[in-house]
Amino acid sequence: MKTLKMEFYKIKRRKTGLTLGAMTAVQFLWCVWAFRGPDEYERLQGWLGTLYSMPLLNSIMMPTIMAVLASRLADIEHKGNTYKQLRTLRNAGTLFNAKVLCGLLFILMMYAAQLLFLILLGHSLHYEGRPDMGLYLRYLFLSIACTFALYLLQLTLSMLFFNQMIPLVTGLCGSMLGLILMYLYNWNLRSLFPWGGYIATMFVGADWNPQTRIMTYYLMETSENGLLSHGFIFLWAAVFYITGRWLFTRREA
Amino acid sequence: MNTLIKVIRTEQMKLKRSPVWIAFLTLPAISAFFGTFNYLNNLDLLKSEWFSLWSQHSLFLCYFFMPALIGTYCSCLWRLEHTRHNWHSFLTAPVPRLTLYLGKLFHAVLMTVLSSVWIFTLFYVCGRLCGIQAPFPAAASEWFVCGIAGGTAICCVQLYISLMIRSFALPVGIALAGGIGGLFMTSKGFGLYYPYSLYSMGMRANNPQREIDLVSFCVNSAAYIVVFAGLSVFYLHKHEMAAG
Repeated sequence: MKTLKMEFYKIKRRKTGLTLGAMTAVQFLWCVWAFRGPDEYERLQGWLGTLYSMPLLNSIMMPTIMAVLASRLADIEHKGNTYKQLRTLRNAGTLFNAKVLCGLLFILMMYAAQLLFLILLGHSLHYEGRPDMGLYLRYLFLSIACTFALYLLQLTLSMLFFNQMIPLVTGLCGSMLGLILMYLYNWNLRSLFPWGGYIATMFVGADWNPQTRIMTYYLMETSENGLLSHGFIFLWAAVFYITGRWLFTRREA
Repeated sequence: MNTLIKVIRTEQMKLKRSPVWIAFLTLPAISAFFGTFNYLNNLDLLKSEWFSLWSQHSLFLCYFFMPALIGTYCSCLWRLEHTRHNWHSFLTAPVPRLTLYLGKLFHAVLMTVLSSVWIFTLFYVCGRLCGIQAPFPAAASEWFVCGIAGGTAICCVQLYISLMIRSFALPVGIALAGGIGGLFMTSKGFGLYYPYSLYSMGMRANNPQREIDLVSFCVNSAAYIVVFAGLSVFYLHKHEMAAG
């Protein structure tokens, strides 16, 4: 707990929250633009449509946002050359856990803000009915799990490399892979990449009718492949956590 | 001129063994690989050979990721200066501030040029591997030159942002957000007036047959270059007091 508190002291006045807020605001602006002026049919299925669009948007932006967050939390140690000093005061594993928890709290705040925003946006656009909170919480849980797995990967890279270019480029490549994986219809392939988790665990599908130019959203049944995709997210998170902690504790200060 | 060459060489020494090549090689390669894959899977829809392949290669790369990639280059260029007390040695060098800045800009633009050469090399190789027999489109040279002009404008904007913000990561995030904003601005018809969409407009990303107003494009690119280079040099003059 003390180590976690110290993490927040370290980032005091570094505007980490503001940085993430600004990047989340870009997502919100995108939503405002993409969902603007819905017709009657779009209002009818607005709440479901949102759950279709958000994983796509997350898979483009979240890998880079996580790279930025991890880099902000780790770079302070590189610049101050503080590893050796910190490790005389605290166990290396505890330090790593504190950084993990600190990042997780930021992720939870981001998604809480996202949920609130989506509900407010839906009401302001007069979507029909009320949002199905069960579905929204399911979306939230899966997205947080995916984002957390990516954060663990980025944190490990940011802690290991002094040059933050490597983790940042990994984040950018992840964003690009996430975007490209949308166009691959091989679900197993999507699950294999940690950046494909958002798309692989989507539970809302869409039918595009080229004649009427109308998109119809529907709830997809969770197949065996779908369950496998869910499992992969937690597998990635576990792998990144264990490897990251192991590498960090063995790192030369 | 002699001083500028010396400054460029110094910057080159600073970049030695820096893993810039990772960014330079990987992002265009991922885009080319999946773009080609998508092209081959949709041959019944994509019938314009080189132009269709280009739309698949350039769509995501030029809109979203080139601004972020340029942002990474620019952050990398200022990183050494932002570390410890290096601003002191940088600003006390017996060289005009403008020359110091031009040294950085030269390398940012050079890396943008090399990235673009790599993008076109991948485009050519993938096209031939896909079995496209038609001659390589002559218009590609215009896309390349316009892309460099637009890319230089982004370099100037990002160099200014990375100069002001000490963090390595934040300017890259801003560049990605800028690229996403560029998609919005282009769709609204304001692409020529927004710095982050100039590269994709110049490269005719996703739409090789798109006509752009070349005069407006060149004027706007030049304006962004002059304004942001001026702001950076002005900031460097002010920064002396805040160094350390």
